[in-house]
Amino acid sequence: MQNPFETSQSRPEEAFAVAAERFLGLLKSFGVPTAGGVTDWSALARPLATQFEQLLRTSQSAGPWFAAAAAMSPGAAGFAAPLAGTFGLPPLGPAAVQNGEAQRSFELLGRLAQLQGQLAVHWSEIASTAARRFVERLGAIAAPPATPDQALKLYELWVSCAEEAYAATVHREDFGRLQAELVNTSAALLVEQRRHAETLVRAFGLPTRNEVDALDTQVRELRRQLAELARAPRASGGDAGETRGRSHGAAQSGPAAPPRAKRPGRRPSGKRARGPRR
Amino acid sequence: LRPPGADAGTPFTDLSLRIAETLARLRRAREVTVGGSARRAVWSCGKTTLYRYLPLASAAAARGPQAPLLICFALVNRPYVLDLQPDRSLIRRLLEAGLSVYLIEWGDPDDADRRVDLQDYIEHHLGGSVRHILAAHRAPALDLLGVCQGGVLSLCYAALHAHEVARLVTLTTPVDFHTPDNLLSKWVRHLDTGLIEACGNVPGEVLNGLFLALMPFRLTQQKYVRLLAGTPDQRAVEDFVRMEKWIFDSPPQAAAALAQFVRWFYQENRLVRGTLEIGGRHVRLADVRQPLLNLYALEDHIVPPAACAAMRQHVGGRDYTECAIATGHIGMYVSRAAREEIPARIISWLRAHRRTRRGLRAQ
Repeated sequence: MQNPFETSQSRPEEAFAVAAERFLGLLKSFGVPTAGGVTDWSALARPLATQFEQLLRTSQSAGPWFAAAAAMSPGAAGFAAPLAGTFGLPPLGPAAVQNGEAQRSFELLGRLAQLQGQLAVHWSEIASTAARRFVERLGAIAAPPATPDQALKLYELWVSCAEEAYAATVHREDFGRLQAELVNTSAALLVEQRRHAETLVRAFGLPTRNEVDALDTQVRELRRQLAELARAPRASGGDAGETRGRSHGAAQSGPAAPPRAKRPGRRPSGKRARGPRR
Repeated sequence: LRPPGADAGTPFTDLSLRIAETLARLRRAREVTVGGSARRAVWSCGKTTLYRYLPLASAAAARGPQAPLLICFALVNRPYVLDLQPDRSLIRRLLEAGLSVYLIEWGDPDDADRRVDLQDYIEHHLGGSVRHILAAHRAPALDLLGVCQGGVLSLCYAALHAHEVARLVTLTTPVDFHTPDNLLSKWVRHLDTGLIEACGNVPGEVLNGLFLALMPFRLTQQKYVRLLAGTPDQRAVEDFVRMEKWIFDSPPQAAAALAQFVRWFYQENRLVRGTLEIGGRHVRLADVRQPLLNLYALEDHIVPPAACAAMRQHVGGRDYTECAIATGHIGMYVSRAAREEIPARIISWLRAHRRTRRGLRAQ
């Protein structure tokens, strides 16, 4: 089943099928029309809240930071398992690193579990508030919907109640802080995971991220110096060209490396844009 | 695929039929194409490509001197939503009005681009595009149309390079990131941007998830169920699928640029506080003195209207026009308003503010 919160592709058929299934599930909760009898809507609150809570929980698992946390969770194989099989030793994950580092990963995992528990409390609260609000507004309606259009109207009402309850909670300062801490903790775990991976990479004599970043910094600095050098003679010749891009010949009506339009005196002195970077 | 709910045991067999029919229509619409106007790449820098749209044979003859128009879209979405299909295309409407239209596509940053930052995007990618266009047209200045986050980048550029931007149009562009109704801002206010940056580029689906989570029930459930309302129409389903394709087709974000955007704009609100610096240069909204048209949506759940309307208090120019449209964020690109009202307003405003050859406003 598609999780809309973590898909990178549009799959409208699948998403529609899931939404339609939930919609029909909701209609089942409403029950079939009764002959002239007034329906007791209060029984609806629990199934509606359960369904909404499930939806909210699917949003919690999205994102690379959360995925990293899942990969490192005790009991989850993560990406360490196949490598361990290949090389006969478990070089990745909390078990592969020095005790201090492993301790840090376990602490982060523990904190993450705590935060997820706190988030679940919010989901539960939102779901039950939404259901209660819906049941209150249903009060005036005597019977379940008898036609598709009536069903859709009822569904719209449910959606409004659900979104209102959601908005009332997620705009709160404490919710914002909790969300941020969840992401920060998950990101910290991912950073830890990468540090462990670098331990392995170093053992095989392969370049690490830090080394690649250092090279990148050098290349940027060299480019900057090169641009300064290129600009120096031009500046005295009147061309302050800073464009580093590539013109695509066929479409260009101007020069291949277009000079920057000159506006003497418009640019504050000593405040030239920094040299080219990537 | 079996229609879900076929065995639901409800009296709604009609509903089950509608579901089956809608599924079949969605299946038939699977291969819809997006983007229709002819264009060609004219310049590139890193992953960024500048496109020029080819003039339409049917275009209105340009009245008087026209500055070329550059569209600067957001980094977080793809700009083809502005040219989704011939009858839903802001770009096509602009071409029909006889404008020379350029568009920046930021491309997909890969791991080698994780340190590309806002200075790179503003000074080199956007700036390089501007300089290329000015040289190609032998023009002193161009018109800049900034969309959403691209509007923020455009404001920065217009403030730093005032002489290169003749007129500025902003569409759903936030300026004050701390208005009380800005949920996105509340959620990212306490993020550790250093940690986020250390994790590397952020995949597009993470941002998608974030945007969907702003109104999860409407955006992941209700919009699909709404397909069951009214008379089934294959064309409407195809339009829907095009939009779906665009919504889920988000590029990854360069780690450094995203972290800076979150920190400087969402967390520190530097644009309105006057504390923003790009490449060592102070960005002051008061330096944006060009004629400015600010269009925003009244029902925007991503960029609240108040965040956009704040522009009027901060820009330096007296020639400021704003227009609030009764639609949502995405509606600004594809709704009926987007088809009719928005292009008409932009075109008439540009015409009303046409410049003479001496660089003075005609009206």
